[in-house]
Amino acid sequence: MSATIYHHLQRLVDQGLTVAVATITDVKGSVPREVGAKMIIHPLGAHIGTVGGGCGEADVIRAGLDVIQDGKPRNVFVDLTEDISMQSLGVCGGIMNVFIEACRKEDA
Amino acid sequence: MNPTVLAAMVASLDRRESVALLSVTEAGGSFAPALGNHVVLWLDPARPPVGDLGLAELGAGDLVPTIYHDARRALAEREHRHLTYTRADGVLKVFVEVQAQPPQLIIVGAGHIAVPLASIAALCDFEVTVLDDRPQYAHPARFPTAKRVIAGPFRAELRTLRGDRGFDNHTYIVLVTRGHQHDVECLLEVLDDPLAYIGMIGSQRRIRAVFELLEREQGIAPEKFDRIHAPIGLDINAHTPAEIAVCIMAEIINVMRKGPAIPMSEQIRRERQARRQRVAAS
Repeated sequence: MSATIYHHLQRLVDQGLTVAVATITDVKGSVPREVGAKMIIHPLGAHIGTVGGGCGEADVIRAGLDVIQDGKPRNVFVDLTEDISMQSLGVCGGIMNVFIEACRKEDA
Repeated sequence: MNPTVLAAMVASLDRRESVALLSVTEAGGSFAPALGNHVVLWLDPARPPVGDLGLAELGAGDLVPTIYHDARRALAEREHRHLTYTRADGVLKVFVEVQAQPPQLIIVGAGHIAVPLASIAALCDFEVTVLDDRPQYAHPARFPTAKRVIAGPFRAELRTLRGDRGFDNHTYIVLVTRGHQHDVECLLEVLDDPLAYIGMIGSQRRIRAVFELLEREQGIAPEKFDRIHAPIGLDINAHTPAEIAVCIMAEIINVMRKGPAIPMSEQIRRERQARRQRVAAS
């Protein structure tokens, strides 16, 4: 999967699209995916890959759409440690850092 | 990520090379302009990297050899790494993403277990080769996700495979032929290769007898069998061929990821080691 995400990226960029790429760079505790897991955030919602799904991934997608807009790379800290009794759905127990950057054809 | 870097990654993956993508994920203080810069590099230090971390312009060009060295080490160890470099004028973090050549699984014997095992292994990103001496079984139509399906004599084809890609510590071999004599024949062929894993199917009773026979009749050192995973797999009480394939794949993942599960072969290994100690002591 992660080996072919670059091929997807190449195809999307060749279509003239600006997309964002999210990569899990650090994890601590129990999280749904491993360091190095990648996801392409597509401006129209045709995302490819996953950084773990759920609310954490929703945060990453929102940040990815911002990155597509302004082109500025950023890190998103995903906290899945909230108490199980709380309303939040992300309760794996760990935290992770996700690096998000833009990818486009004319990017230099 | 700029088009040059992306193209270098895609080309390298197409050629099945081991490659690392370096990304500046955090750039504090004077490093700030480097944020989001990339470099693609390979194990061979003589091969020029593609891209630029942009550190020379920031007066930190001397850091580059250290970063490249650390990245190549991550690549050699097949492990993604998030490196941190702290300087008086700022902190730089570089994520090294490793795209190593995928591990290869060689399934010897194209019978009932091989079919689900080949598809599960492909799902787990293994490059799968299936080998059998019966062309009607070793047929590409039975193994749509396999990279290679080879019909030919077992030992000769194993030798060819060894010559083609090499049997290294990212090679996993599963012996599940139709008859134990073929499993043993192949086992003898690969016994001295530096493989990540050799698994052989068979009951405990059968395996014990086979190892003893080989020691007695072929004069093979008993320790050589210690790394053989036989009986094969993790004990999940698997019944059907598909379930057995899952139990074999689980063992392979356990070996690859250095997991804590105890394989079914452990009991025989312990018995045999204890017996050797008794013999040595007496």
